[in-house]
Amino acid sequence: MITISNLTKRYGKIVALNQVSFTFENSQVIAIMGENGAGKSTLLKICAGILPFNQGEVIIDNYSLTKDSIEARTHIGYLPEMPELYDRLTGREFLFYIASLRKLAKASQIITELTDITGIKDFLDYELGSYSKGMKQKISLISAMMHAPKNLLLDEPVYGLDPPTSRTIQDFIRKRQGTTIIATHSTRLVEQVADVVYILMRGNVVLCDKVQTLLKKYQTIENAYFRCKDLQHA
Amino acid sequence: MLETTILLLKENQRNLFQKIKGAPILYFFFSAMMIFSVIMFGFLTLFLLRTEYEFSFFDVFFSLFFLFLLKSAADVHNLFIKSSQLSYALSTQVSHQKIIAHVFFSQFLINMGLWFFFSTLYILSIFVLNIAVNYPLEYLFITIGMAIALLVGPVLALFFFSSNRFRLVPSLLLLGFYWYSHEVVYVVCTLPLACLHLFWGIHHGMESFLFVKRKERVKERRTVRSQNILSALATREILTLWRDRLFFSFVFTAITTALFTGYFFLYGADILIPESIRSLAEQYLPSMFVFLGIYIVVIYTAVFPSLNLFLNEEKTMWILHHLPLPKYTIVVGKTLALLLCFITTIPFIAYISIFIGLQQLPFLIWVLMFSFLAGVIISLPLGAKYVGKKSDILLFYAVAMILFIVAGIAASAGKYLTRVTIYWPLFLCSILLVELLFLWLSALLSAKILKSNVLQI
Repeated sequence: MITISNLTKRYGKIVALNQVSFTFENSQVIAIMGENGAGKSTLLKICAGILPFNQGEVIIDNYSLTKDSIEARTHIGYLPEMPELYDRLTGREFLFYIASLRKLAKASQIITELTDITGIKDFLDYELGSYSKGMKQKISLISAMMHAPKNLLLDEPVYGLDPPTSRTIQDFIRKRQGTTIIATHSTRLVEQVADVVYILMRGNVVLCDKVQTLLKKYQTIENAYFRCKDLQHA
Repeated sequence: MLETTILLLKENQRNLFQKIKGAPILYFFFSAMMIFSVIMFGFLTLFLLRTEYEFSFFDVFFSLFFLFLLKSAADVHNLFIKSSQLSYALSTQVSHQKIIAHVFFSQFLINMGLWFFFSTLYILSIFVLNIAVNYPLEYLFITIGMAIALLVGPVLALFFFSSNRFRLVPSLLLLGFYWYSHEVVYVVCTLPLACLHLFWGIHHGMESFLFVKRKERVKERRTVRSQNILSALATREILTLWRDRLFFSFVFTAITTALFTGYFFLYGADILIPESIRSLAEQYLPSMFVFLGIYIVVIYTAVFPSLNLFLNEEKTMWILHHLPLPKYTIVVGKTLALLLCFITTIPFIAYISIFIGLQQLPFLIWVLMFSFLAGVIISLPLGAKYVGKKSDILLFYAVAMILFIVAGIAASAGKYLTRVTIYWPLFLCSILLVELLFLWLSALLSAKILKSNVLQI
């Protein structure tokens, strides 16, 4: 469970998040949508503990991200939008490195399982610098999921992935028990996996509703998104 | 018309302003040091004139020529060969040669600007010192020489990073001719030839761009298993240094520096110092050469890797920041990797002892250890403060200057102790212990800085 209260993030004079508050419940898949620069990735980065913020509080499973940062980050798995990895490590070395830093027991077994699922097994002994964007995405995804975190933060999780892996990831998201927060532009992904959708515009939450409710009302999430945008402009 | 040149110049200017805004104290310090260095050159000129030391005009010319040659080669490597932003311009309908020419022109303008700025500053400083400044022809020759360096340097960079390295041969022959002729006029006369070189380089420039951008899949089979946190952090750093072939380069530097230092220790005063002041300099010059040798080795094997522990993490720092690790553990884990860097300095001690004898060895080892630790102590917090400022030469320069002062004072104090007390080994060891305490404080400070980077409210 993640609770965010009155969170404000500024980049100089630009307000990326303006006193936003959320409660992301357990066992929910939450989709965050919004135009470019709306604050989606910023929100996820803050929750992952990699970006400072100006005001507010973030509580992850009862741990404050500022006061009990290490405990809070233990319960987080994070996949960035453009995963930059250590170019001179091989995929296997990178995954074992993360497993070591997370003090993961049975790392070998978990890595074998996850690399089988994502279809990256044959490339594990190549340096990450030679990976394609999709392969990097898969390795980062494994590193985010390998410790079975209660809260998974995924920034554009299926962007750049091949269709079979994309489907596998969607199945995985649907089946998992904890909280999953996805920042995405893909309305199709939202329709297929999300329970709740938040729409951000210029750092403010302009819509928060269950996906099923929105589908009943607007037929598609895309319609809901554009309706929301029109209302904002009006 | 010249769109790419204008864009590169604008980017260059904005980057500089942004860096100054981000670290004003550091840049103020650096600017002050640069101006101070130029003025010191003015004083050196005065000193050499007073001692009636005859210095060769060609040596001065060639030193400047070589400096600008390297600078322009490095600039073209950064602005064109390694640049990924240029892909957009190269994908337009504008011919590749034209864009490459624009890049060359921008580096030419930047470096000529630097030449005029620093030469004017130097002329002003010697004017203030009442040295007759009336060498217009020499100044013109040096300026043309700098222009030639800025035309040949980029070609060297281009063909060095090309699949056809044999194209370097004509440029190397030209440089060989410059050195052999030992005449500035001959160099100046080759301006049309240098232009021809540049056109040839521009014609084949795209090959280098494509050659560097090619992707090769590198396979590394190694038994991998889980480790404890500190050893995992250190192993990653060591693997990167190993695979970038940096350990070999450290050992090579240590050996060559030791050989040069040893040579200058024995013959430096005879080669470099005018006879009129040789007897004065002979007392302290050999020790100074050894100190400079140690300083160079430490800069390369301690300052450079310890700054890069964090400077190289521009886009990958998210990995360590999002993991549940105390920042202090991250700093200590990374710093442990530097132990191996220290081992690479041992060949320096081994080779230098051939020249200076074994008697001085314990003190030399102490100076090396002290300077190495001091380099790490200074670099760690600065690296943590400026995470991601990858090739910040100014930061490197600032650290090098601080280290020079600290290590210089410590070496002099250490030398003094060896003269005044028989218990000097005890004192020197105590100094090292105190330094270890400072290393711990430096690690704590670095951890605090890293933490403040992500958890500021």
